[in-house]
Amino acid sequence: MNLYLTLAFRYLGGRKLRTALTTLAIVFGVMVIFGMNTYMPTFIKTFQTQAKAAAGQVDLTITQKTGEAFDPTVLNQIRAVDGVTVATGSLERLINLPANYVDGNPGTPDRITAVILKGIVPQEARQMIAYNIVEGRFLEEGDTRAAVITRSLAREFGIGLGDTLTLPTAIGLSDLTVVGILPEQILPGNEVVLVSLAEAQRLTNMPGKINIVDANLDSMEEARRNEIQQNVLKAIGDAYKIGALEAGSEILTNIRNAQSIFNLMGFLALVMGGFIIFNTFRTIIAERRRDIGMLRALGASRRTIRWLILTEGLIQGVIGTALGLVLGYLFGAFTLNLVTPMMQEFLNITVSTPAISPALVLTSILLGVGITVLSGLIPANSATRITPLEALRPSLGNVSFKRIAGISFWAGVVLLTIAVGFLFTGSMEWLGLGALLFVGAIILMAPALVNPISILFASLLTLLFARDGTAQLAEGNLSRQPGRATVTASTTMIALAVVVMMAGVLSSVSLTFIHVMEKSLGSDYLIMPPTLAVWGSNTGAAPQLADDLRRVPGVTVVSTLRFAGTQMKDIAVGILGIEPQSYRELDLLSFTRGDPEAVYRAMENERVMIINGVLAAAAGIQPGDEVEVLTPMGKQTYRVAAVATDYLNAKTTTAYISQRFIEEDFGREEDIFFQINVAPDADRQAVESAFSAILKDYPQFKLVDGKKYVEENARLFDAVFLGMYVLAAFLAIPSLIAMVNTLAIGVIERTREIGMLRAVGAIRRQVRRMILSEALILSAIGTAFGILAGLYMGYMGVKAFEAMGYPMDYIFPGSGILAAVAIGILFGALAAVVPARQAARLDVVEALRYE
Amino acid sequence: MSNPIVSTQSLTKVYGQGAAAVRALDGVNLTIQPGEFVAVMGPSGCGKSTLLHLIGGLDRPTSGTVWLDGQDLTQLNDDQVTAIRRKKMGFIFQFFNLIPVLNALENAALPMILDGMRPAEARKRAQEWLERVGLGHRLTHRPSELSGGEQQRVAIARALASDPALILADEPTGNLDSRASEEIAGLLRQISSTWERTILMVTHDARIAAYADRIVFLKDGKIVDETVLEHRNGEQAEMVADKMKEIGD
Repeated sequence: MNLYLTLAFRYLGGRKLRTALTTLAIVFGVMVIFGMNTYMPTFIKTFQTQAKAAAGQVDLTITQKTGEAFDPTVLNQIRAVDGVTVATGSLERLINLPANYVDGNPGTPDRITAVILKGIVPQEARQMIAYNIVEGRFLEEGDTRAAVITRSLAREFGIGLGDTLTLPTAIGLSDLTVVGILPEQILPGNEVVLVSLAEAQRLTNMPGKINIVDANLDSMEEARRNEIQQNVLKAIGDAYKIGALEAGSEILTNIRNAQSIFNLMGFLALVMGGFIIFNTFRTIIAERRRDIGMLRALGASRRTIRWLILTEGLIQGVIGTALGLVLGYLFGAFTLNLVTPMMQEFLNITVSTPAISPALVLTSILLGVGITVLSGLIPANSATRITPLEALRPSLGNVSFKRIAGISFWAGVVLLTIAVGFLFTGSMEWLGLGALLFVGAIILMAPALVNPISILFASLLTLLFARDGTAQLAEGNLSRQPGRATVTASTTMIALAVVVMMAGVLSSVSLTFIHVMEKSLGSDYLIMPPTLAVWGSNTGAAPQLADDLRRVPGVTVVSTLRFAGTQMKDIAVGILGIEPQSYRELDLLSFTRGDPEAVYRAMENERVMIINGVLAAAAGIQPGDEVEVLTPMGKQTYRVAAVATDYLNAKTTTAYISQRFIEEDFGREEDIFFQINVAPDADRQAVESAFSAILKDYPQFKLVDGKKYVEENARLFDAVFLGMYVLAAFLAIPSLIAMVNTLAIGVIERTREIGMLRAVGAIRRQVRRMILSEALILSAIGTAFGILAGLYMGYMGVKAFEAMGYPMDYIFPGSGILAAVAIGILFGALAAVVPARQAARLDVVEALRYE
Repeated sequence: MSNPIVSTQSLTKVYGQGAAAVRALDGVNLTIQPGEFVAVMGPSGCGKSTLLHLIGGLDRPTSGTVWLDGQDLTQLNDDQVTAIRRKKMGFIFQFFNLIPVLNALENAALPMILDGMRPAEARKRAQEWLERVGLGHRLTHRPSELSGGEQQRVAIARALASDPALILADEPTGNLDSRASEEIAGLLRQISSTWERTILMVTHDARIAAYADRIVFLKDGKIVDETVLEHRNGEQAEMVADKMKEIGD
């Protein structure tokens, strides 16, 4: 084997525990990045394909910007445009199927979780797309309750030509007779159920409406096609856009955000890993000065030395990355297993296996191996500067008591002041910049603060260790190398800052959200569609259902939600139609601005809207403003009267108007969510069985006990937050390794000093205490800075949430600080174990002879 | 007489500056002929290790020149001096300085592998030398499994295996008991007489120095005396010790 590899493997093998701990950091980083990305993109893709209606192979697809249905008269305007050869209108609606709807078996997840109901004009549609019927016939003018489906869909449902396909629709369960079969669907995306336009309008409770216009053009030439497109848009006005229907873009943004957060976390873990590698290599070089010097004396060039060190890094990087990839895959599969049932329940998404792309593998490898090798570079370079002589007569531990409260300290003070100032701006960008400045400030200021902090903590330790002088020695040892002490303490700082920050943000978020959740979902019963918050993709129910529910004995209030999509100031907004009266009774919204009583009253008869915080922040509107809202009937002006939030829509841009106006302006009469209160003395069992009987015709809905739902969600919150804390703790572990390394270097460099201490009468216990004191002071410095940085970043995080429009109260993370202090002390003590033993066991004569 | 293998002219090394300056070596002129075994002796701090380091290219002089096999080391850069150390010098240290994670054979082969020789060839030559120094049965032992004397033999095999022009030994017996010391001294004598290698050895032990051809005495950075030995087998140790007392050990 090559010399580099032989030496690297032997040295690594000689320090198995350290090698394992160092490699662990890389494993962890690669695992998070790789694992997350094995399913996140698939997840997003599945979501997108499901949310997008299949556009087919037409030249132009035109929809309303709001995604809502519109009057077919638009068709004539489009047909009149020069260059449009044919145009046809259709009505498409995604029908989310309830869980186990297809196979009825809870043991296996359904392969199909949603279908697209597409209402077409048969003659016109066949001019646009060549539908290839493999069995039976195509739809004909005047067909009622007839459908054409693909062979794959027929197989999933176990039906054939002439059989009945039953779908949950706005008018309850509806039967369709299969009259024709299309070939298997090969492309990803939802299966389509073709029906006549009139049938689709009936099933979706949208009489006389279409929501898509498909058109073909007379030219294949790019410039000409663009010109026709522009002319079409000019003809139909700015309420329309060219492009397929999209739904759930708000949720998609959330998923993408989560992906970035996890990527950031993985990267942070890798950077920490890199930091430990850096730190470990510094230790390695301190330990091997003699070996390296001897190699130089024997004629090893500087390049040889550099490669020797880098090869070790490379091996650790490769092993760490390989393990990380394997564990990442398992982690991905495990997480998927964990979240799939939840995703099926709330978002109607099924992702079964993690997907590995060559690009992902390559990126993970480059990051894992790259960061390891990069971290080894500086120590490797410093190793090349070891002269043969230095190694044969190693110098003693350096002392650098130079004055450090110089320019960098004061630059740090200035940055800190600016960063604190940014807290008051309330702007996301400034807050983000502030966080960077704050961390920079601490790094600049820390070396100058090491001495005073060491002295402070040393006095505390003196009290603890009853004046045997070890605390002073420890303080002196740290103060003489403030640079190194800072580097080590900074790992602890970063780790604990993350813990304190997370504690601050999470406790604030959790408290606020649980409060809002209790309020907005606190009714006795909830009747929920398959997909929460992505209301547009749900099939609701005609008002009949709510009326039936109201008639159940014991029911006091039934409050429903209706949904329409729109745009305000070019932002996609979900409009929720509420019944002001029942909303007031159930007290479902958490108001941050505006008087609830007055607002609910005004909503009954005026175009008045309540907006949520996210919308207020995104669109820059506030109570008192008048806003223009795009509706299928044209533009309408609404007055914004209050800012309030409910739990389900807290993260998406949402506005609440009364059901009267959602019907007048958006033509929506479909209820998609129900909240019900019953009389305190009602027979719950009877009520529930009455509800179940009514809901039999509406399998898309699920009856849920409101209190239980809130409790379950609160538990989910707790579990997620616990997971976050565990992740934070994982990030803290590398700092422990870094601290062990620094202490070990200190012991190696001071072998002779320790020998001398022992020779003049220090007992083993005192030597152990000296090292323990050093560790405790180091971790105290890291903890102090970590808490400071964490408090700032946590406060900043809460402010950032506020700036995004979430109603937030800042909770001081007292428990987080206690945890950070506990972790700090524990790590300090743990880090000292090995080096302290090493120092105490030194043979006095050997140590004194050590040069 | 043939060209000297080592020749220093006015070799001077000053540590520190101003009032704290210490002249470790002060204008030393020393010549060593091929095949010669020279010992450098002197009291602590006389500059003997400094002299060895300068000749070995491990350190740079303040002034003066060091010629090794026709090349002026003081005119070469670090990489060139490193290459010369690799090709033309063999080192034996007081603390053996073996790589703890490599076995005896691998340690002895190290300089040749560093010089780019094929590992199989390097190991073959290393094995030959290990056998010559009497360690044929310890090839796969790691340094921690060898006695001090054995470790020093590995270091000697390592120094000889690459067939260097000069072997530099810095207190080679400083860390050994008297029996092992005598054995190592005898081995060095053999290296010079039988295998005709040039050796420059620094020592403060008169019994070991008495195995050399010539002894150079240093004091306060200057050569103060020189003695050519007749017997070269340790018998004149007493005479060497007396000489050391004379110059003030």
